[in-house]
Amino acid sequence: MDFKTTNTVDATEVWLTGRLEFTDHDRLRDIVELVEQSRARRFVIDMSKLDFIDSAGLGMLLILQEETESRNIKMIVRHPLGDVKRSIELARLGEIITIEF
Amino acid sequence: MDAAHHDSPAEPALRGFSLLRDRVPTDMAARVASRFAGTVQDQRDDAVATGRGLPERAVETLLMERADRDRLRAAFDRSPFLTVELGEGADEAAAPLDDWSGAPAADDPGLPGFYLSLTTGTAYGLQCPVLVCDELVRRGVLEPQRRSNVELCLHEAVANAIVHGNLGLSSAVKGEPGGYRRFSEMMRDRLGDPAVTRRRLDIFCRWNGRCIAIAVVDQGGGFDTALAPATTGNKARSGRGFVFMRTLASRVTVTDGGRCTVLQFDR
Repeated sequence: MDFKTTNTVDATEVWLTGRLEFTDHDRLRDIVELVEQSRARRFVIDMSKLDFIDSAGLGMLLILQEETESRNIKMIVRHPLGDVKRSIELARLGEIITIEF
Repeated sequence: MDAAHHDSPAEPALRGFSLLRDRVPTDMAARVASRFAGTVQDQRDDAVATGRGLPERAVETLLMERADRDRLRAAFDRSPFLTVELGEGADEAAAPLDDWSGAPAADDPGLPGFYLSLTTGTAYGLQCPVLVCDELVRRGVLEPQRRSNVELCLHEAVANAIVHGNLGLSSAVKGEPGGYRRFSEMMRDRLGDPAVTRRRLDIFCRWNGRCIAIAVVDQGGGFDTALAPATTGNKARSGRGFVFMRTLASRVTVTDGGRCTVLQFDR
């Protein structure tokens, strides 16, 4: 998985590409660092260009949710599509994470 | 492996087949051939990559010292039954004794299938479930519209076999404060240990008219199969892999003390 970041006054946005899976724990550390550095109220994870997410990747989203919550930052997962949307729905992640389809 | 074979009668005889010797030391190839009651053919490396000059029917086994995506795709194009990455240090005396063989699983020559055996060091990051599903589609076994669910299940079984099996990592670490950092460090440590990365990950696919069975086998310490979750709390940081498998596959069977997961998909 690769990502790029954009910052606005209101939000830090992380744009994921490729596959988010069990080999990406090091990338999670990088994204948590973005949360720690963020001064914005919202942390948006854009998944429109993400091809695949596995159960480990979903676990990473939950860790990011806790990291943002503890800093009073609102995390939003945006535009999961295809196989990514399927996995998120199977795991019923929408019950605990804000997801904009 | 019982679940993978439930549709077919047991056949005691091993399948005899030829070995393609590809940069494998002669003595090792001979020992492998002996083990599988096969014969050895010498083959130049470039012919393996391109497929030129190979007798079509003879190539049912491919051995390679080191696998990568391109070499595996080239190997699959030859439609071998058994594709084995021997791994670095393949010419060491102990290597031929490594338990990579598909012999116990190759006991029913009547069913079509293929068997891929990789080292953990290679399997990590190779996305072999993608390659295996590509091959199942190419052989006309898996319909493209069903591929996505099969691939996710196989991915989860392979991830479990690598992370919890061969690398011996427990997800419990992730539940601790900052545990994901520790988990990441532990994973890096294990991936730097040759004794660990030499452990094998085997994927064995067989099918008939009614069912596709895919067995994923590791060489880790196993686990208490009664603890494999059928459901998990939606805030849990782990355990969803088995939930995905049990939801999307027709049947999931865990055998060999947790070292073998057999996924079955009705056709």
